[in-house]
Amino acid sequence: MKLDKAIEDVQVAETELAELLVKIGERHAVEHDLYHLGHTLAKRCAAHLSRLEPFAERYGAPPASAEVTDSHGLVETLRHKSSELLGRSEATGLLLLRDLRNLYLTAQEAELAWVILAQAAQALRDRDLLLVASECHEEAEACGKWLRTRIKESSPQVLVTG
Amino acid sequence: MDRVTNIWGERTPYARGASWPARVDQFLEDGIDEETVAWSQSACVLCSNGCGMDVAVHAGRIVGVRGRSDDRVSHGRLGPKGLYGWQANNSADRLSEPLVRRDGELRPASWDEALGLVVERTQALLAERGPLSLAFYNTGQLFLEDYYTLAALVRGGLGTPHLDGNTRLCTATADFALKESFGTDGDPGSLTDFDECDTIFAVGHNIAETHTVLWMRILDRLQGPDRPSLVVIDPRLTNVAREADVHLPIRNGTNLALLNGIQHELIANDWIDRGFVEAHTVGFAKLEQIVSEYPPERVAGICGVPADDIRAAARVIGTGDRLVSTCLQGVYQSHQATASAIQINNVNLLRGMIGRPGCTVFQMNGQPTAQNTRETGADGDLAGMRNWQNLDHVEELARIWNVDPLDIPTWAPPTHVMQIFRLAEEGSVRFLWIIGTNPAVSLPELHRIRSILEQERLFVVVSDPFLSETAALADVVLPTAIWGEKTGTYTNHDRTVHLSEKAVEPPGQARTDMDILLEYGKRLGLRDRDGAPLLKWRTPEECFEAFKTVTRGRPCDYSGLSYGKLRGGSGIQWPCNEEHPDGMERLYADYDFNTYTAYCEDYGHDLLTGAAFERKDHAQLLAEGRAILKAAHYAPPHEEPNDDYPLLFTTGRTVYHWHTRTKTGRARQLDEAAPDCWVELSPRDAERLDIVEGDWARVESPRGKLEARVRVSGIREGVVFAPFHYGYWDEAEGSESNGRPRAANELTITDWDPVSKQPLFKLAAVRVEKIADGTGAAPAPQGTASQPATAEIPGRL
Repeated sequence: MKLDKAIEDVQVAETELAELLVKIGERHAVEHDLYHLGHTLAKRCAAHLSRLEPFAERYGAPPASAEVTDSHGLVETLRHKSSELLGRSEATGLLLLRDLRNLYLTAQEAELAWVILAQAAQALRDRDLLLVASECHEEAEACGKWLRTRIKESSPQVLVTG
Repeated sequence: MDRVTNIWGERTPYARGASWPARVDQFLEDGIDEETVAWSQSACVLCSNGCGMDVAVHAGRIVGVRGRSDDRVSHGRLGPKGLYGWQANNSADRLSEPLVRRDGELRPASWDEALGLVVERTQALLAERGPLSLAFYNTGQLFLEDYYTLAALVRGGLGTPHLDGNTRLCTATADFALKESFGTDGDPGSLTDFDECDTIFAVGHNIAETHTVLWMRILDRLQGPDRPSLVVIDPRLTNVAREADVHLPIRNGTNLALLNGIQHELIANDWIDRGFVEAHTVGFAKLEQIVSEYPPERVAGICGVPADDIRAAARVIGTGDRLVSTCLQGVYQSHQATASAIQINNVNLLRGMIGRPGCTVFQMNGQPTAQNTRETGADGDLAGMRNWQNLDHVEELARIWNVDPLDIPTWAPPTHVMQIFRLAEEGSVRFLWIIGTNPAVSLPELHRIRSILEQERLFVVVSDPFLSETAALADVVLPTAIWGEKTGTYTNHDRTVHLSEKAVEPPGQARTDMDILLEYGKRLGLRDRDGAPLLKWRTPEECFEAFKTVTRGRPCDYSGLSYGKLRGGSGIQWPCNEEHPDGMERLYADYDFNTYTAYCEDYGHDLLTGAAFERKDHAQLLAEGRAILKAAHYAPPHEEPNDDYPLLFTTGRTVYHWHTRTKTGRARQLDEAAPDCWVELSPRDAERLDIVEGDWARVESPRGKLEARVRVSGIREGVVFAPFHYGYWDEAEGSESNGRPRAANELTITDWDPVSKQPLFKLAAVRVEKIADGTGAAPAPQGTASQPATAEIPGRL
């Protein structure tokens, strides 16, 4: 059985997603929804990992946690400041689209990692893991849908004006 | 009777199921003989109750008002704002000619010159940067005919998605919560449900001050022979809370947890109508699973109210026979707004209490004509409550407007105002036309809003009856005719449509918003597919007739209404059509909800992120006529009190004022009743800060500061309140507050609900310090929520 691999894949994907949500939220802090929801969703990634913890132990995967802090480190503060400085320029639009696209793809990775784990949980008849995987999958999917909505809203403005 | 001190007038108690007795309220200017006035039919525009009123005219001037005794909404009553607010029409500082900025100064100009400039800039931007460089931001104060003209012009003609109303700050969440649960917008109930109910559940709704005439109705029930039970959720000790059987003085920002806790109790005690839930809803299993995680003890910890009180509240809600629930800004402008508002719908659905006399939920409105902004699509909606993601709906609208469906921007939801300002900030929006609203005082984080409006590259047009703080920053200012000076219709929160006749001429060269927009469209040469003018009406009545076509077959069906039918009577509810020629009192009386995928106004959203669901997501619910129970987990607010900013800040209104006091600040009685800003502190916080009643304090958030005198009130410990009405247009030379920051929105945060995009005004972290001794009581009203502290201190655990 290689379930530890599937769990590790979820851990890596959720950790990467959490980091990117915070990083892009800070980089585009003047897009206030990205900033606030970025932090909220990063915390949810961390919550996903802690829900996975007992299963990591059960199936022999390493423990993992995503650190999401509210106190701004130096790097976050610098990103935030530079976002405010660039906030009055249209040139940031293309960067915003690129970042949203990367974030969406990272969210898709996480969503798919949960699909794979849920499949295995089902075949193993591990009811507890299946429940966690299904619920987390639904939330990971919502993250992707949110980014899709945001990209659909922003792309015409970035690409067509000016 | 002095209706400043006696806000709700004489009581006329009545029993459940009886008709609310009529009481005609009237106010005429001093020295005016009633025999010499002519009366003109109208309805009040100073809150969403929309009480029918007659306007008194003498020698070409408005000289007073009186309630219409046969009005289905008010039975003749008027509140203080309605009685006194009309005096602003006669104010000496009304704008009477267009203004154009030259050499940095706003100077008088002709209409031709002013509109010429607006058209020239529009055309230049259309050529250089396309329609997405244009944005429009309007209000909840115009008439249906103004809104519909605006919506058709912007969405069908110019083709920009950047059109929103300040209803975004007021009832966007009501709109979205109704769409999520019932499929389409429109409050299902009737105001007569307050006559029939035995239980009232008010969440974040200070009815006594926001809807004075509705509160009169409720007071008359409370003092009648079979008093309804009342449960109130509010961090302030409002007059509504003082009357409550159970008052939960919640910690701001935790509505969702509390409402989940109440549903937990309803389900745990089996106070739900399982037959109704089974037959007429979808989503119960998920709801049950989520709320099972909110037992009263856990909720008490999150919300800061005793677990036993939560149980007591649930018992009242769960054991009555006829429940009316209502909510307002305490929900809409707070954290997790839409998710919370939906839970209030859920409470009534779980109880099977909807669509019957005395059983309904009110997602209340704030502004008098907010409902029409939503129906016409002058905000984030599409005309006739259509679904922007449903191609059939868009094609139908395009057929009516006779334009190419592709010309209507529907690739994404219409842009909300906070995003419009963001686009103006980053520079892709270069033209912003602001109609009848005052964002320089009413939007969050004012230093940011002012700096956006002041940008050289942004061309700002303001249509307004007064030189507001926002108008003062404009490039072109257009003087407008207001209520009493134009004919049109508007719809209140129980779907009652009123006609308001033109009673007097507008001052000077002021023109109606509809006329201004028609002229703008004509000068731009906006055409339909056959080369005919896009906007085919010239009078309000012609516009109303055009709008009827757009609503036929949709929930807000106006097709059976006409000016003739509205004239003389006093209010008819929509839908009004061949099937229901006198209107329909309650929606969903047959429990057939508007959730059919092909018919619904919205496919729904993920409540945490606001992700827009698509057609296939909605179809998967298999709702098809059943109401949708949606649940969500509580998540902590984005900004919480910390060591630097240890208190929670919230804003709100007082009974005497409306918005940024554009009208009420110009009515002597109302201005004198609440002349200046104040901040409220709980007795314990005041003591800790070494502050006593009337002292000057500075309230500071990470974004700005406010200086005002302190009222020590019955507010929850740890919470600071300031009214949002005060700005800078009437700073009096030499007054104590002159030169001090006094707008509550200097402090508020730029953040909004992910679903409704309604900004957050009820939640910011602040600190307070004393800056000077006072010389008496704070300038705050006494008989309202700002009443000085008593022995009762809410929020004490």
